[in-house]
Order: sequence, then structure tokens, then C-alpha cells
Amino acid sequence: MEKIILHGRGVIAGIVEGEALVCPHSIAGWGGIDPKTGIIKDYENENKGKSIKDKILIMSGSKGSNGWSCYFGAARATGSAPKGWAFTEIDSSSAVASAVMQIPTIVDFKAEEDPCKIVKSGDYVRLDGKQGTIEILSKK
Amino acid sequence: MLKLTNYEISILNGEKGRLQQVAMENIVRYAEVLGADELCEITKATVFCGCHEYLNVLDSDDFHEIFTKLNLSKEDIIPFDNTYENCYVQSCVSPCDQYEHKPFNQSKNFFEKNSYFLEESKKAGVIIAGTCAPYLTGWLPIKGEHFVTTESGVTIIGNSIWGAFCNADGIEAAFWSSICGRTPKWGYHLEENRYGTHLIKVEANIDSVIEWELLGKAMGNKLPTNSKPVLVGDFKNVDFVKLKHLLTSLSIASNCRICHIVGITPEARTVEDAFKGHEIKGEITITNKDLEDVYSILCDKEEVKIDLVSLGCPHYDINQIKNVAYYLKNKKIHKDVTFMLWTVYSIKCMADLNGYTKIIEDAGGHIYTSTCPTTIGDIFLKNYPNQLYDSLKQSGSVRSSELKNNIYYTDMYRCIDAAIQGKWEDKFRWKK
Repeated sequence: MEKIILHGRGVIAGIVEGEALVCPHSIAGWGGIDPKTGIIKDYENENKGKSIKDKILIMSGSKGSNGWSCYFGAARATGSAPKGWAFTEIDSSSAVASAVMQIPTIVDFKAEEDPCKIVKSGDYVRLDGKQGTIEILSKK
Repeated sequence: MLKLTNYEISILNGEKGRLQQVAMENIVRYAEVLGADELCEITKATVFCGCHEYLNVLDSDDFHEIFTKLNLSKEDIIPFDNTYENCYVQSCVSPCDQYEHKPFNQSKNFFEKNSYFLEESKKAGVIIAGTCAPYLTGWLPIKGEHFVTTESGVTIIGNSIWGAFCNADGIEAAFWSSICGRTPKWGYHLEENRYGTHLIKVEANIDSVIEWELLGKAMGNKLPTNSKPVLVGDFKNVDFVKLKHLLTSLSIASNCRICHIVGITPEARTVEDAFKGHEIKGEITITNKDLEDVYSILCDKEEVKIDLVSLGCPHYDINQIKNVAYYLKNKKIHKDVTFMLWTVYSIKCMADLNGYTKIIEDAGGHIYTSTCPTTIGDIFLKNYPNQLYDSLKQSGSVRSSELKNNIYYTDMYRCIDAAIQGKWEDKFRWKK
């Protein structure tokens, strides 16, 4: 397989590997996930019913309510958080969530390396929060 | 590279106590993730007090333990016992009405736990207001004033209509800022970032409140992440209520936190003024069909008896309550329908004073304060299989619930008609 490495701005260090879960339209705030299980509840989400737990969660940014970070923070408290995450472009809600979660985080990808377009749910990836890279290790 | 003032460094060094120190540590981490160069002082904040459902992930009744672990991301208990002296801090909604718990299927213990959470917040300097519409109580940032809020609707209203400066931070960051008085000077806190990015040509006929709300959702569905729309159209009879519904639904449907309306909002006297010399990244046209498409997803079709009718999201102002009272005068809500109207309790006092509460109660309805159906959650909603709302935010949020309820959505007057009839019928649907 051709080596695919995407470059962004690494903002919280750490190297994690896992299955990618890609939400190009983000996940709605306030009730978009069940913090006890990590399962996506957002009625409009293409991944509704799947869990963010232990995934590499990839989103365009945040969406909806300012009560966005708190549901991810609560998922962290229950052990249902993703291993690491990446945002195509940083925004304030996703930045607060990252500061709360303190999991390896990459933001602000090059336009031609948008992980929401290149990575697919189910791909196995390595996220390096210091170098700011996502490598696709195997395709689904 | 983030630069801090000597005052901010002194907080970080613990000279103002452990609580301010941890709040500042979190603000600095948040600023570094954003890539901010400096911080700015905030002078208004709304914060999310009360024992909300998501806090139940911790098996604890200790407010300060929960506050520390979930809002400060620390394990050692740090009492939340003060707020920044130059900041006007008041509370957003909590999961309980100010006085009652039985109508919501909540236990007395839970109600008392919520009251205890609010009391501890009050001791720290938070004014207990209990509203998602803080402007109804006089909490009004002026042009250029930096503020934080836990309400997405208030964020976008503040930026767009008042010309005040705010980012969509989140519940934790609003607490951090209200404690240490600082937020990252980034995004909409910088004058140069507030220009438009996308031109929205509104060809749909927008008039009523619900049409403004549907416009917000239709735009939100089409806009890319981090867009700053500029609306042009033949708008008539625009008022604050219509704009608050437009902006609240736009903020729920996207991460958009500023929206210019040419000729109406202060930073968009003309199209050129709104874009301030920047390129127009895209043009989007919104037609009546876009509104109809959005509406069809938010309103179920089956004609069934209605169990709950809920009005007031964002919380109603006194004139909206007056309109409900006048429409309901000498009418009766169907006996099987629970009819609830939501506001802040200072407005409820005005409704009492003006006789609107009595008219609504005589008709079989009730006015409640300090919360709303989706904030109370499933313990309340599970009792009502068929629910009707006059708000896109409520009718959308409850769809994410695991409950398999029928959800209907229409304008205030049709909601009241359905409540009187006790049944949803096709004639109550919004139609262009």
C-alpha cells in the first residue's frame, strides 16, 4: 500500500494507533454522544450508533451547542474517550475540548490533506500529536 | 507564541490562589491549542450551574468534587469559591424549575441536589438567573466588549447583533474565564477576524419567526466549517425575536458564530462593509424548497394525539407570553395535553403582574422557569410519546434521545391550536 501521511499542526503530544472514525460533519453538541458508552446519538450523524471509545476520532471541527466539550470531557471521565483526535480546522469549541481531554491532538491540516476526505472510517491509523501527522497504516 | 502579562503570570504562579491558578493553567492550554498570541479580559459571563445529567458520570454528590474533576480537569478537590471581581457572571439554565420538581418526574432529592449546586455557585459570586436568554435580565455586552457564554445562541447573537466579542468556548472554559477573568484573544475576539466569508442570497420568502428559524437551519446545513455568512435579501418586519431564532438555529446547525445581515446588523452596513475587502469564498442561494426540506425532517407526519406542547426556546420574553395569553383567552387546552411555556423567573413575575399567567393557567397551561425539556432530559420526556414544539432547537435536540417519540414542530399559534384540539393534524404543519 502506498504510504499516506497527512500533515497538520500537532497541539497535544503523544503517539496513538487505532481504528479511525471519521465524522466529516462533526458530532452535534449537547447530547450528541452518550458519555457513559461513547456511542454517537446525534440524529443527523452518519455514524449514529457507533462508539468513539478508543477510536482515532476525525472531525471537521465542532458543531452546534456550546455544550460540546463537556460531553467529551464526561466520556473521558468514564473511560469512553477516543485515544486521539484530529480536526481539519481548529475552532474554539474543539480547542476547549482538546484542552479538557488532553489526548493526542492534531489540527489545521493542509487543504489538500484534509483527513475528513482522505481517511475512511475503519482505516487503521497512527496519530502523532507532536509531529502533527496521521499515517494510514492499513485501509479498511 | 503566547505572551502573558505580569498579572497573568502572577495568577499562573499561584499568587491569587489555587482556583485562579488552575483556571489560568486551563486557559493557557486552551490558548496554546488555538495558537493565540495573547489573552484578553472578559467582563461578562454566563456559566452552566446545576446538577446536569452529564455530570452523573461521576458517582458523587459533592459539588466541589464534580466541579473540580469535570470543569477543571483536576483530581484534587479545589473549591469553587470565587469569581473574577470585574466580571458580571450569571447562571444559564439548570435541569430544574426554580420551584417545582413533580411536574417533571424529578425526585425531591434530585431537586434539592440541584438547589445545593446552585447555592454553592451563588456563594462563588454567580448570580443565579437560570436562563438561556440572559439579555432578558439585563445581561447585555456592548459593542467591542469581550464576553464568554455557555449558550451558542447568545454567542452568535452577541457577535452579530450587539457587535460584542465572543467565541464558542464551552462549559468548562466559561468557568475558567469567569474565575480568572481571561480568555484567549483569538477568533471573534479580534476585530480583523469578523469579516464575512460566504454570501447567502435569500430568495425564500422569509417573514414569520419559524421561517427565520428554518432559514438558520438551511444555511447551517450548507455552510462549510468556520464560515461567516453574509445575508442579502428582501427582508421586511425584522425584529429581535426573529433574529434570535435565526441565529440560534444557525448556531445549532453549524459551528457558525457570527452572521452578518446587510442593512440590519452593525458590522454589515453594506455588502462591502461585511466582507471588508476579503474575497467571497462562496455563494449560496436559499429558496423556499430549502426551508421545506429542512422542515420535513423536523416534523413527523403521523396524525396522533398530542401529549406535550412546549413553547419558549430560547426563553420567551414578556411580549411573547402576552401573545400566548391573548390567543388563549377564553379557550381551554385539551385535558390530555400538558402545555408548558418556558421563561426566566423575572419575566414570569412580570407575567404574574400583568395577568398573563392567570389566563394561561385558566386555560390549563403553566409557565415554568430556569430550564427547558431537553435540559431536563429523558426522565421528563419519556412520559410524553407525542411532543410538539415551537422551537427548532428543542424539536431537533429531542430527536437525538434514545426515546422513540413522535416529534412535531410548528409556529406558536399552530402549537396552541393543536394543544386545544389535543391532536396533531396536517393542517398545523408549516407551509409556504
